[in-house]
Amino acid sequence: MNSQRCRIKRAKENERRIPYAAVLFLAVLTAGCLLAELIMPYDPTYMNLAAVSEAPSSSHLLGTDTLGRDIFSIIWYGGRISLFVALVATLISTIIAIVYGSIAGFSPRHLDEMLMRFSEILMSIPSILLVIFLQAILGEASVLSIAVVIGITGWMPVAKMVRSEVKQIRSSDYILAAQTMGGGFFYVLRRHLTPNFLSAIMFMVVTSIGSAIATEATLSFLGIGLPTNIISWGSLMSLSQGAILSGAWWLLLIPGTVLVTTIICITEIGEYLRTSGRRERLL
Amino acid sequence: MAEVKGKKHKFKNSRCEENDAVWIAQEKFFPVYFLKKAGQLVLSLLVLSVLVFFISRLAPGEPLRAFYGDAVERMGPEQLAAARDRLGLDENLFVQYWNWLTGALTGDFGISFQYKQDVLSVVGKVSFNTLILTLVSFMLIFVLGLLLAVFCVMREDKAADRIIRRLGVAANSVPEFLAALLLMFIFSVSLGLLPSSGAYSIGQSGNIADRALHLVLPVAAIVFSHLWYCAYLMRNKLSDEIRKEYVLLCRVKGLSEREILFKHCLKNIMPAIVSIMAVFLPHLLGGTYIVEMVFSYPGLGTLGFESAQYHDYNMLMVIALITGFFVITANMLAQAVNEKLDPRMRYGERISVKAGGEGSE
Repeated sequence: MNSQRCRIKRAKENERRIPYAAVLFLAVLTAGCLLAELIMPYDPTYMNLAAVSEAPSSSHLLGTDTLGRDIFSIIWYGGRISLFVALVATLISTIIAIVYGSIAGFSPRHLDEMLMRFSEILMSIPSILLVIFLQAILGEASVLSIAVVIGITGWMPVAKMVRSEVKQIRSSDYILAAQTMGGGFFYVLRRHLTPNFLSAIMFMVVTSIGSAIATEATLSFLGIGLPTNIISWGSLMSLSQGAILSGAWWLLLIPGTVLVTTIICITEIGEYLRTSGRRERLL
Repeated sequence: MAEVKGKKHKFKNSRCEENDAVWIAQEKFFPVYFLKKAGQLVLSLLVLSVLVFFISRLAPGEPLRAFYGDAVERMGPEQLAAARDRLGLDENLFVQYWNWLTGALTGDFGISFQYKQDVLSVVGKVSFNTLILTLVSFMLIFVLGLLLAVFCVMREDKAADRIIRRLGVAANSVPEFLAALLLMFIFSVSLGLLPSSGAYSIGQSGNIADRALHLVLPVAAIVFSHLWYCAYLMRNKLSDEIRKEYVLLCRVKGLSEREILFKHCLKNIMPAIVSIMAVFLPHLLGGTYIVEMVFSYPGLGTLGFESAQYHDYNMLMVIALITGFFVITANMLAQAVNEKLDPRMRYGERISVKAGGEGSE
């Protein structure tokens, strides 16, 4: 019994440990992307027609793509766009989710019911279909448009969470006090609600950065995201389907590895936040 | 959680003072229950159709291009106007929606601008492919996920469980298109074992073995990138369940770990698993659509992607509605199954109304 208890305790500590490796990787990646100009051996936009689809070698560390661009340089330079898109998309979706969720949480029962039903209907179509529709409306994709599209299709799960949190705290005395003193909806939201539910939704927000990176890559891969002349991980990968048919594996594996590792690290951090934000088990 | 919440409004109007009589009445009047559900479904689909209709019509693209191809550029203004008139694109949006709706109610969903055929016949041709792909992946994920969850819980926090968890997170982080490309690269480009595209070889549409061969890679890609999503949720549920007190009682009675797990715990979390699978369905469909596009598998995903690019409105509507229909129906089905599996679910509603006053979660 004692050994079992020890094991449980150890497992708990294990779960709670800060994922240093993940944080380190993301820090290096972000720093590298921000300082891309210092690291890049080549101009990432330069198409060297003499070196098309070259395997990794000493001159091109990670090889070149089908347009003759240096992949090593693109990873850093394109990471900037990929991370930027993901962050902006998450920011947008979080803001929508907080506002929508709080409105639903504060409204009388029928309105609340209706709002939640609406978000459930939106959730019933796979988000990729929604994204495709919206991207079609906005026409030619740009960095900002793609971030907006990903942002406005991904807020529903967080909104749901916000709503149930708000429902729990809305009848607290301090909120009533703030309201009686004339605090408006947005004031209460900013000063009292958000700080209270932020830790509960934080892990979802962090995880959604990871899925936004994946969505951007998917869209660009399918050819409805960023065009190849705007360099991002996704637009680099859009060349990979043609490339693997000719055996250029590095064009698939290298950006793929970077992408997946980034998402894994973000998930790890999200998981850490989820377990540490959770209340201590009472039993 | 989503399911539980969705279920609420069935009894929205029931007051907490009403007791079992309500339930008995509900049971007796099955048609009432059924009609309510059907009404909900129809209403949801209606909202969905309005949404998709206006979203797709706001697009700046030229739908005539899908119909006439490049000939659009050679057409004069009068011809363009005539073409718009013929396709019903010249009226204002609300009239257009009304026309669409009245048509849809009589089973006429309009023609596909791109294929110049009735939308339903185009969709009908490919929906079977998508259905097979989704169904096979769904079953596989369900069975494998459950096995994986049980396996992990039996070895909780031991090496095997930890390794599986790591691998699971890694696999879950691979976007569908990347998983599809990797599999395609390994098994069809490098090893040449499996076909890399389509649902069947040319002229072999009736050959079941050939179809099965074409299914392997898409199914593998979907299962690979989605399995952990389900297995993880099931694992957590099961791991919570084995910490409940009745497990201790079973132990005291002398039941083996295996017996407790399979005979009691698994049975008890069945409703939760049904809910998980229902919540999972839209994810799965989204994944299926992407994988279809990568493998150029003739299905709803590939079709939807094409029609969004060519502004083939009628097609988009039907695809979105079919998808929504399946997801919403699956959710309702999950609720119904859950209520059958665990009668407490229905009482749970009343209890929460009584306790929370607001029916809070």
